[in-house]
Amino acid sequence: MSSDTGRLGGPLNSIADGYNDRFGQVFGELNGLQFALIIGSLLVLLLVPVWAPLLGMSGLLRTLALASIWAILAMGWDIQSGYTGYISFGHAVLSGGAAYTTALLIGNVNPDLSLAVTLPLSVLAALTIGLVIAVPSLRLKGPYFSLVTFVAGLIFYQLTYAFSDYTGGELGVRVGRIDFTVGGFEITTFDPVMRYYVMLVPMLLIAVTLLYVARSNVGMIFVAIRENETAVSAAGIDTTKFKIWSFVLSSIPMGIGGWLLAHFYGTVNPLNFLLVDRSIELIAMAVVGGMSSILGPIGGAFLVIVLREEVLRIFGATGRWVMLWTLILLVLVFARDGLFRKLWHYLGRLGSRDGGEN
Amino acid sequence: MISAVYALIAIGFTMIFGVGGVLNLAHGALIMIGAYSFLVVTSGSTLGILSLPTGIGLIVAIAVAAAASYVLYIGLVEHIEENPVITFLATLVVALILSELFVMGFSSSPRTLINLVPGSIHVEQFGVRVTNIEVVGFVVSWIAIGLLWYYVTRTDEGRSILATSMSERGAQLTGVDLPKIKARTWLIAGAFAGLAGVFIGTLQSTSPIMWLDPLALAFIIVVIGGIGSIKGSIVAAYLIGYLETLTVELLGAGFRGTFSLLVLVIVLLVMPQGLFGREWVHE
Amino acid sequence: MSLFRLDGLTKRFGGLVAVDDLSFEVDRGEIVGLIGPNGSGKSTVFNCTMGRYKVSDGSIHFDGSEITDYRTHEVVENGLSRVSQESNPITEMPVAANIKLFTLPNSVLAFRGGATDEEIYQYAARIDLEDKLEEMPDELPHADIRRLEIAKALATEPEMLLLDEPFAGMNQQEINDLVDKFEELREEGITMIVVDHNMGGLMKLADRIVVIHNGSKIAEGSPEEIAENEAVKRAYLGSTEAM
Repeated sequence: MSSDTGRLGGPLNSIADGYNDRFGQVFGELNGLQFALIIGSLLVLLLVPVWAPLLGMSGLLRTLALASIWAILAMGWDIQSGYTGYISFGHAVLSGGAAYTTALLIGNVNPDLSLAVTLPLSVLAALTIGLVIAVPSLRLKGPYFSLVTFVAGLIFYQLTYAFSDYTGGELGVRVGRIDFTVGGFEITTFDPVMRYYVMLVPMLLIAVTLLYVARSNVGMIFVAIRENETAVSAAGIDTTKFKIWSFVLSSIPMGIGGWLLAHFYGTVNPLNFLLVDRSIELIAMAVVGGMSSILGPIGGAFLVIVLREEVLRIFGATGRWVMLWTLILLVLVFARDGLFRKLWHYLGRLGSRDGGEN
Repeated sequence: MISAVYALIAIGFTMIFGVGGVLNLAHGALIMIGAYSFLVVTSGSTLGILSLPTGIGLIVAIAVAAAASYVLYIGLVEHIEENPVITFLATLVVALILSELFVMGFSSSPRTLINLVPGSIHVEQFGVRVTNIEVVGFVVSWIAIGLLWYYVTRTDEGRSILATSMSERGAQLTGVDLPKIKARTWLIAGAFAGLAGVFIGTLQSTSPIMWLDPLALAFIIVVIGGIGSIKGSIVAAYLIGYLETLTVELLGAGFRGTFSLLVLVIVLLVMPQGLFGREWVHE
Repeated sequence: MSLFRLDGLTKRFGGLVAVDDLSFEVDRGEIVGLIGPNGSGKSTVFNCTMGRYKVSDGSIHFDGSEITDYRTHEVVENGLSRVSQESNPITEMPVAANIKLFTLPNSVLAFRGGATDEEIYQYAARIDLEDKLEEMPDELPHADIRRLEIAKALATEPEMLLLDEPFAGMNQQEINDLVDKFEELREEGITMIVVDHNMGGLMKLADRIVVIHNGSKIAEGSPEEIAENEAVKRAYLGSTEAM
């Protein structure tokens, strides 16, 4: 075993060192195995349209497109809740708010509005809602903050029914697909392959951006706020400002994710966007993957969505939810640091042992 | 009238928080368990066999919810309660699992509970009609609250619960068996939830999503009344009860919960410790 | 003009008066001892100064501006830093990162910046912690954790330090070393207020001592004068605590 990984680890480590020299300072250092995991996953994801049909799993394109969107949302939650320790239980409101903004613009203003209008306005809506929730509730700590954000989520859910003249209540609003041209080339989410990349590429860009933020001073201050807020203000840092900033940084991916999700489903309704379950699913993904790591929530999102949409279907429409929540509960009790964090640290130990031998 | 039932829900929620520092997000699910237990043993048609008298149904509902609450604590919460956020999340996941299980067992459409006491009284001088079940709900809730009050102030066992909710460390020093106290509190809170479940289930609805509204209500009441305070919960329950009635009459049923949130936000901004609360942040 | 001035500072908690109409001044370059029996209100004075408690009455001035209602980070930005009684390093980060945190700019857009490794080394070296930069805080002995707290405070480049019981839990050798360090810091131009509940470590260090009892000032003077002061002796006898 160790000689195997040793043989493998050697060249991998030297490639990883090339990366570390250039980007280690910015995104964090990796050993050979961790580097291989990242590059491997990236290749697998980029090449889904190639390998999935060969394996007779074309449906996977839809599932993984959905997983990409949820990965955006889980990362968006993580940079705020996972990093600062102010755990929000109402984050689906941010993405839901963005989705409903798109829906209301398309449904009630003009069905032909371009994404140059709907996307920025949707992100702005997520931002506004984020601040409306954050400013009063960030005065509270720990479970009290969680409780208030949870209630905020419930209220927005109820509002969609109260204003069902505009929101269509339970049925929701149709928004259609994404259609745009880049340099004369038409991109449309009617095509499953294009749709997949329309979801995957923003996910990867957001991942890189948030990793940069998380490994920067700002990320360090967020973690410090989580660990010891008093010490941070003693360092001359305005913790309130940074907590609100974490909400801002979170709102942007939440807005983009909500907008993508709206176009993915083609309909914006409370069930898929605002139901409490969605906020919890979001958190569950991040926790299952490993909170406050950005990469963990991506893994968690893909795991949860693949389970939900593919593996657990054998248990029936309701049974799959029972199974999914039960599995999540088990992870919460027995592996609360997250599965992907465990894997990551395992690779870290394995890789460094190789380094010692070389 | 319904406010007394709300108080019942909020008291159970706040007691668990007071004693163990746990926010039990499965509290609404216990209410649902109460309502469905009642349905199963009284309706005669649900499981095809049982059609017990409603009075016995009420007792079964209380017993099943209390047992479920106890099992929830011993089986899950006791092992994770040192991490409030994981507990928060885990109890919520439990609520979601139960909700899906009820969908599986009873479909997602609402059920009607057999009325404990059908009929209504016409109160001449106010020109309002009050249903018997509302009156019974009111009376039974107050009896339950009265019994609890007697228990925590007059009996040694009960007093140790009150002492623990004031200071966990202090109670430990005086030799209180903390795990036992906590388990007992969960039992009581579960019983209250089961009782409330029958009334909520009859007066509002019995469905797999019925856990959510009472839970939200419990939050709002408890935050306004001050977390951990039984007295505050009762006052706030009445405040919110009247506010709800008023909102529904003036703005329509769709806004039922929304207005309460407004009150919640105002309370948070003006007095973060609530009406009767201790400081939220332990120094 | 004095660098730091308390004017009739009062702090009430409900009915309890923790600090009662307290006034004193500290000149630039001075080391002032603030002593009093346990519960006399010393830490409350620091908490008020650092913006952790809201002041009930009176004012606090520092370096020409009124800082009474400043929030903690604003007080720190003004050049005041506190070494609190309890050590609270961030256990997930090594010593160097703990120091670096205290050098980060208070700007949400400053993704890079803060002290360089060399500067962090210098801050640590000022208090003899430069060999422990890579260690995690929970691996450090008590005296080093206390040093880390001082290094963090120094990293904010303060003009004045508030030291809350800096000698607590240290042996005589460690106290003597620390007293020497404080002397060096004073020579570098840092003003200090040192809180302690007895005068042991302060006799050599302090230029002047302010004694408070039940929140009020009962004496002020040189360490020698205070040691002879009858009111001070009574206050300490009353609280059955030896000087």
